[in-house]
Amino acid sequence: MLMSVFWVYRYNFHLFPRDELRLGMPSYSFSCQSSYLSSMALSGFDFNMCIYDGISYLSRVQESLARQKIFIPHIRQFSPSPSTSVADSIFMNRIKSRIEHWRKGYAEPSTTVDGSLVSSLRQLLLGCESYGSRPSIRIDVCSDRQVQLVLEAVNHISDDLVSLVVPDKAGTARAVRVIFTNSTEDKNLLLTDIQKLEDEHNLKFRGFREVIDLLSSSQKPIISYNCLIDFTMIHSKFVAPLPPNLKEFMCSLRMVFSNVIDISHMWREIGPLRKAKNIQAALSYLQRQYFVPMDVEIHQQDANNSVTKSGENVLRITKLFAKLSNLLKISPNSQSQSDEKCYTVEEYCNIFYPSCKVKESDDANFSNESDTNRAMSTDNVVFLWGFRETSVKELRSHLAGLHHVFLKDFELKLLDRSCSALIFHSSDMATELLREISLESPSLSDFFSEGLKAGGFDVYMKVCRLGLWDSDLAEALEGVSSEPATSMPSGHGTSEIYWNSSLMLDLREYLEC
Amino acid sequence: MQSRRRLLLSLRAPPKAVLCRLLSCSPPSRGGGDGGVGGARGVAVKQVTRGNLADALEELRARVRDAAFVGIDLEMSGVTSAPWRDTFELDRADVRYLKLRDSAERFAALQLGVCPFRWDPAKCAFVSHPHNFFIFPHKELPNDGSSHEFLCQTTSIDFLANYQFDFNTCFREGIHYLSRAQEEQALQKLYTLHGDEISAYPNTSEEEGDVPLKSAADILFTERMKIKFNEWRDAIISDQRVDGHSPGNVKFKDRFQMVFFKMHPAIMLNGFTSHQLKLIRQVLRKHFRDLVYICTFCEDNTLEKRVVYTDTNDDKILLMKDVREDLLKSKEAIVKSAVGIRHVIDLLASERKLIVGHSCFLDILQVYSKFIGPLPSSMEEFSLDINKIFPYIADTRHLMSVNQVVQNLVRQKSKSLSSVFSLLCPALHASDEKSSTLAPVRIEVEADETALSCFTSGAKHEAGYDAFMTGCVFVQLCAYLGVKFDNLLPHENLATNIKLEKHINLLPSCWNSGTVVDLSTGTERPDAGYKHRYPATVYDNVVLIWGFQSKVKPKDIKDCICKVFGPASLTSVFSIDSTAALVQFSKQESVNDFLDLKAALESTDTAISVLHPLSTILEGGQTRAAKYAAYRDICRSSLSKFFFADQAEAVHSTSNNELKSENHDVANASGTYESALDGTVPASVKQEAEGTKSGFKNQGDNDITYQDILGALQDGKTLFGKRVRST
Repeated sequence: MLMSVFWVYRYNFHLFPRDELRLGMPSYSFSCQSSYLSSMALSGFDFNMCIYDGISYLSRVQESLARQKIFIPHIRQFSPSPSTSVADSIFMNRIKSRIEHWRKGYAEPSTTVDGSLVSSLRQLLLGCESYGSRPSIRIDVCSDRQVQLVLEAVNHISDDLVSLVVPDKAGTARAVRVIFTNSTEDKNLLLTDIQKLEDEHNLKFRGFREVIDLLSSSQKPIISYNCLIDFTMIHSKFVAPLPPNLKEFMCSLRMVFSNVIDISHMWREIGPLRKAKNIQAALSYLQRQYFVPMDVEIHQQDANNSVTKSGENVLRITKLFAKLSNLLKISPNSQSQSDEKCYTVEEYCNIFYPSCKVKESDDANFSNESDTNRAMSTDNVVFLWGFRETSVKELRSHLAGLHHVFLKDFELKLLDRSCSALIFHSSDMATELLREISLESPSLSDFFSEGLKAGGFDVYMKVCRLGLWDSDLAEALEGVSSEPATSMPSGHGTSEIYWNSSLMLDLREYLEC
Repeated sequence: MQSRRRLLLSLRAPPKAVLCRLLSCSPPSRGGGDGGVGGARGVAVKQVTRGNLADALEELRARVRDAAFVGIDLEMSGVTSAPWRDTFELDRADVRYLKLRDSAERFAALQLGVCPFRWDPAKCAFVSHPHNFFIFPHKELPNDGSSHEFLCQTTSIDFLANYQFDFNTCFREGIHYLSRAQEEQALQKLYTLHGDEISAYPNTSEEEGDVPLKSAADILFTERMKIKFNEWRDAIISDQRVDGHSPGNVKFKDRFQMVFFKMHPAIMLNGFTSHQLKLIRQVLRKHFRDLVYICTFCEDNTLEKRVVYTDTNDDKILLMKDVREDLLKSKEAIVKSAVGIRHVIDLLASERKLIVGHSCFLDILQVYSKFIGPLPSSMEEFSLDINKIFPYIADTRHLMSVNQVVQNLVRQKSKSLSSVFSLLCPALHASDEKSSTLAPVRIEVEADETALSCFTSGAKHEAGYDAFMTGCVFVQLCAYLGVKFDNLLPHENLATNIKLEKHINLLPSCWNSGTVVDLSTGTERPDAGYKHRYPATVYDNVVLIWGFQSKVKPKDIKDCICKVFGPASLTSVFSIDSTAALVQFSKQESVNDFLDLKAALESTDTAISVLHPLSTILEGGQTRAAKYAAYRDICRSSLSKFFFADQAEAVHSTSNNELKSENHDVANASGTYESALDGTVPASVKQEAEGTKSGFKNQGDNDITYQDILGALQDGKTLFGKRVRST
């Protein structure tokens, strides 16, 4: 059997949100988790390279904002005006004669040699400037109409003139710059120069986002692993601020990347691999159990580059994808093949796993991932805080003595050291508890005197929406629940959450509805 | 001392220069600008990271003890968390403090520069030792709940990068710290835990529930362990009878290593899984009263598990106590070592030397928040606290403004540290043409040649070098103030100098405030040398407006308010950012009038509210207004949004503070406004407004003439005029 090979080209981009345009974009400030920085430092991340030379970027939304604020001289296409009034033609003639007079000085060099004083005087009188090494003249305008007229006039005079529209800070045209070129080659040279300037300017705006745009427009499948968090990052940094809910996010992401494949979804298709916990595990299992006539080779271009951890990971993902796609009989270009057994990549697209807590470890163990997801209503959940017990057991026994609802069966989970979630098996218990708390019923006097507080899922949601991340969850819940719940926006009722969140999100589901 | 050689400022300098003592203090003037590749070449600055902190600290201790004063500087990861958090000249003192506090709490200190200056009478020169400490706030204690997150301001990080700040060293080698409050908390926790354990003893071992023996393997393992321990114990007991403590000949090799633990025979338990260890403990608990399971931490933070034989029950209790004490001690040691760079701060505090900084109020706030504890809520409290810790602080920025000669010298020039440095401390060898400047006091830099590797030549905006420059500037400023160093004793603290005394503990609160903070009282007073750009603000006359549309410029606000309240009604409009502004009225009553009018206009959704001059501001329906107190509350909030309007809304919706009630007042006030109208003008705005409203409903807008509306507006205006005049 022939060994097929994927050629791999690896790139490692260093990014830094530098404020190139002095507009407070892409971000005015950013927050760092010092433990994360430490672990990056341990794995040899080069912060100096990242900060000194990192590529900046603007998201699509930020770019359009920036374009409303920063303008550069540009070439405007001349569109012949339909009608010309008398005033217009007078203006045009005046401009025309002025430009012609100026042009004559360069097109037909005078035989007499002027003194430097004379020539500089003439330059001053004519309003000459130089554009690089080329002579140019600046014609002030005060409206878009005048810009058109000047362009038209220039168009009539000669082909060796190039005109640039110069905007002011607010973006309205202030002047037209007419540049004289010696020859057609010179003109082309100038035009490419201008184009280059514009490209540089665009690069300043988009920076690294060019890469994202390139990937997006190529419509190629994007392979990743546990990528929901990565794509929320990509969306917020390079596309637009994150939408208020998951559904809109998915739609919006779909517009940018139509083909995203989570590699872990692919390996779930292969029975024995279902329980693989990470890439390394899946890869080593595949290598042990299957012979896959498919390999990955790295292109020489970057063989001498130092390999970073993320580079390593990307390579593993590619390797795994190559092998999996072979096993699952996905062909890289399914359209061209007539094999009816061939699955398309699209089958695996856009399915994400929301659990982002998967530990990235290199040990190749399989673990027992519980397959039981229980859906439960948010009505069943009560958040409890204000306790001093540190273990679930202690807390549970303490609660049992406080109120009769706590005698019933419920699950208890410590969320942090100050707050826990109670999951009741029926929503009645939870609502009863919350109602009694809001009524401050006497049966709960022990509960209150212990300093215990509780709130429903709505309180938690509000905390999350307000972004109160900086303190303990208990502090945040306390702050939110103490104010009257008047300003709660409508539009969210009961919804289902999954207690064990190892389920998947299918983008298509969202798009069909 | 002899072992040290004075290093010249420049390592590249010719040998001759090495001999000629280290010169005064600076390179030839580099001009006032910021453009140069900064730094006096070759000032040896000692770089201190995690690796050499202990040594550097020992050395620094002696240096600080001998010092006349100590220059300090901090490099931070940012200054303002949002554009509107910038300090403005017209901020009230408490608001300014809140803004600075926010900055100090949010951003991290990345470098601390400390430079002790010692007076050497023999040489008639100051000898300095610049130190540059890298700081990185990573988590050092395992169970420390506090979140270690810090903010970076993009422009600040970029700025540091431009001056070649070494982020790799900072993040990899940076020294951690615990503030005094954190340390206290950690120790407290340790002691309570320890106390609990002591009191709970000896029941601790029985506390754990039984491990059910689930499988045959478990049962077999348990039995085997029982037999083995039995053998071992019998061997020890029998051995003891024969030849005392010599367990060496006991054959018990296969998995156990025989050791002594605190004079007791013991075996190491290596290579067991946690489940097996649980089973072992259970066996010991159930069948062996004289064997104890002991788990200790060893040097490299790994657990060592042993089974120890004890002769008697008393012996066992004593042993357990001993072990716990050890555990406590080792944990204490961990906490102590986590103190890290705070030792430097403690050192400076305990020596009570004069601390010198340049525009250092924010630095001092940072030092307090990182190394002492959470910042107090008011400037007064903060000042009193800091005064206890650092009794003498001098700010060169302030000293510059108290001497007329220096004032003239720096007039029209940048007041940044590096430009002042090059101005005041030109090379000693410069010709005497500049008769206006005093002859600079000589300053030498001393470096220890045995550890050259950790010295680098200082560069601008490196904390260590900045601390050195600050000290140099300070020395020259002292000379201008008439401080004589000649009769300064070698270890004397400059803080007690009579000529300096009155300038100490006065710090400019920020570059544009025009005030200095008196740290001994906690109050601000105006800085004589500062040129104010705005007239003094009367905060009772100020209204805060936010949420207007971004196209509305401060000038538009001014125009439309002048249209309503008269041209003289406004003192100033100050733009906070593109979404908010502070409007100062000339009369206090106008504040309430404005808020009332706004509420009234918002409550009536008619042509009047559309055509009213104020509609420019109110357009969009998101515009809010409140008194100055609301501004303070918004600044106090721990949230930080990019736009002020977003921040204000967030503060508004999260907390039940005065801001809210303020707005309720405003809403209620609309009623009073309307009744006031009724009282004075019979057929006035209100009825007109009602009329138009019904008009809209019934016949459409054709029936109201433009004249009607204008008339109504006119009435409103005259009414306001009357009110303003009458009050």
